[in-house]
Amino acid sequence: MVKLVAWTIGPDAPSFYRKDNLVSAVATLNQELEKENPKTTIELDATFESGGAWGDYLQKFQLAAEAKQGPDIVLAGHENFAPWVGPGYVIALDDLLKKHEAKFKDVIPTLWDAMKLRGKTYAVPQDTEARPMYYRKDLLAKMGWSKDRIDGLPEAVKKGDFAMSDLLATAKEAVDKGVVEAGKGWYPRPTKGHDHYMFYYQNGGEMQDKASGKLVVVPAALEKHYGVYATAVQTKVTSPTHIGSDFKIWHETVTAGKVLFYNAGTWTWKEWSTTYKVPENDLWDKVGFTLIPAAQKGAKPTTLSHPLAYMVTSNGKTPELALRLIAHATTPELNSRHSVESAHLAILKTQQDDPTYKKDKFLLATGYMSDFTTFIPNHPKYGAYDEVLFRFLSGVATGQLTPKAATDQAVAELKNQLRDELITK
Amino acid sequence: MNSTALLFMGPAALLVILFFFVPVVITLGLSLTDAATATGLSNWKWIGLDNYDQIARGSFTMLIIRNTIFYVLVTLAFNVVVGLGIALLSTHVEAKAGGFFRALWLLPRISPSAVYAIMWVWAAAAPPFGIMNDVLSPVGVAPRDWLNTDPWVIVILVNGFVGASLGMLVFTSAINSIPEDLFRAARVDGASAWQIVRRITLPLIRWPVLFVLVYQTMSLMASYEYILLTTNGGPGLYTTEVWSLWAFHTALSNYYGNLEFGLGAAMAAGLVVIGLVVSFTMLRLFRFDELVSDPRVEIT
Repeated sequence: MVKLVAWTIGPDAPSFYRKDNLVSAVATLNQELEKENPKTTIELDATFESGGAWGDYLQKFQLAAEAKQGPDIVLAGHENFAPWVGPGYVIALDDLLKKHEAKFKDVIPTLWDAMKLRGKTYAVPQDTEARPMYYRKDLLAKMGWSKDRIDGLPEAVKKGDFAMSDLLATAKEAVDKGVVEAGKGWYPRPTKGHDHYMFYYQNGGEMQDKASGKLVVVPAALEKHYGVYATAVQTKVTSPTHIGSDFKIWHETVTAGKVLFYNAGTWTWKEWSTTYKVPENDLWDKVGFTLIPAAQKGAKPTTLSHPLAYMVTSNGKTPELALRLIAHATTPELNSRHSVESAHLAILKTQQDDPTYKKDKFLLATGYMSDFTTFIPNHPKYGAYDEVLFRFLSGVATGQLTPKAATDQAVAELKNQLRDELITK
Repeated sequence: MNSTALLFMGPAALLVILFFFVPVVITLGLSLTDAATATGLSNWKWIGLDNYDQIARGSFTMLIIRNTIFYVLVTLAFNVVVGLGIALLSTHVEAKAGGFFRALWLLPRISPSAVYAIMWVWAAAAPPFGIMNDVLSPVGVAPRDWLNTDPWVIVILVNGFVGASLGMLVFTSAINSIPEDLFRAARVDGASAWQIVRRITLPLIRWPVLFVLVYQTMSLMASYEYILLTTNGGPGLYTTEVWSLWAFHTALSNYYGNLEFGLGAAMAAGLVVIGLVVSFTMLRLFRFDELVSDPRVEIT
């Protein structure tokens, strides 16, 4: 009997299958092990940790790993393993993945890019998502948009016919006409998070150099990225007090139908019906979703994915069994039930044919966004990089700094903190 | 020094060394390393004064120093003035009423910090929420998202209401210890209430005022918990970020889990040095040596 311990963040409803899929995988792995050696069976102690608070969760794992008391398997964001590789908290999986290649060949290939650091693979994707631009159909109708135009907005964005400047102009028109209150034309994410970087990528931004793995900043793109927020605030489309406001109030305001455009994740669609009690039919009637419009007409729209991933730690005595358990949790059936329950996109190619997945209208409607997606980088110093860029973004969004001044100071500070680990393009 | 004196001082000296001196030495040592999540506790290396160099060159450093000075001075003024005001008022009314009044002012201090801070966050919530908006809008104050529009007001009030209670307690006991004869004599001589406060009360509570000033200055320089729980250093570009919160964010709280212990320790070490300088300056300013010197008249 081998005992494995797995930690997943939570309980993070409706994403409870992050833990429960591992629990379900125990039975099938034990069946497989019985054929190899009837004496070997595994027992799993899988727990939700830290009540969904990411900071506490990461810190708890780091302290446990340092004390050699961590779990065998840990679930975290793909970028989280970057600082854990140096002290050896998690192990490279390449050899084991090669040995069990057949079990992982169904994983969508692009997701593996987000699981690597300096050419080595440290994690297995658990789920992924897209971050759409949501819009209120009823408010656009109030502005005089026809049903065809409203329903055709995702396609117009996809083709590059409706750019970010069009979105901001539409939001301004909604404010000017009194369709929405000032500051409620566009609600970007109100707190720190990956979503903001969609507007950096949208403007030609890069975050990591593929060859060297170093972090990258593109000042011209950063200035345009900051410019999007500055324009939104100057035109009263977004309030200068928006960044830093309460996320709960953010959700209550958008679900009350008071905001024209707003950014959130695919999983948020499910949260609006489960946590904020908006009937899903109501969402379909009144809320639409598109990619993030391109910076200019004719350019490519974007979105961003942040796959969560299972990692095998150096603390475990049986890393191969841990990886095999992850393999048994990475099946179309188990991943599809997680996807449907929590509105996360498929991580396996065959999920598209899974009967459960195929029945979900929202997942089918947003699936194409994966083709336009981007990721944040895996780098040990990404936390410092993000802190600098976000703080200056906040400065621009509150009107304290111009995009140019914020860019100049942000680049100088990045150079000060990251030194040789930064490439300026 | 004889062995008896050493024996008596031993336990206290041991505690001071273990819990005050050793942490400072560890912090100073850590500040000379690149220790971080990415190095763990086994792969760090000595980097000399690199962390101090990074802080000195940082774009945020001057802004955060200015924020810290503003936060400490304004909150300190609030704490001392309000604490003194409550002490004076509550010692000049009927004893039971004064006691009840002071008990009310102790509520912020005896409430758990997190609960107290969250109550402020809810009270200051954006319209249509927030008790502050409900209470102030009828008197003409436009409803607003207080934590984002007026973050310093909230930060100073949250800290001030807690801090004022300490001053209130110390000043009340100091005022009550002034011999009643002095007040009676002043009244007989026709002194006004203000003259009594100005000429008798304040000079005789100079030592407690010094204690509260120095203690609260040190306490405010090192405190960040209420800022963390209300504005978290925002909104915008480090609007309410103070030095100790900056050190906490750097060393112990990063959104992506990349904690930089060495850099955070350098920030904390800077705070220790500034704290020492400020303490010595204040003690000299208030002539601490005179206050603790032997009395010139010996009463037998």
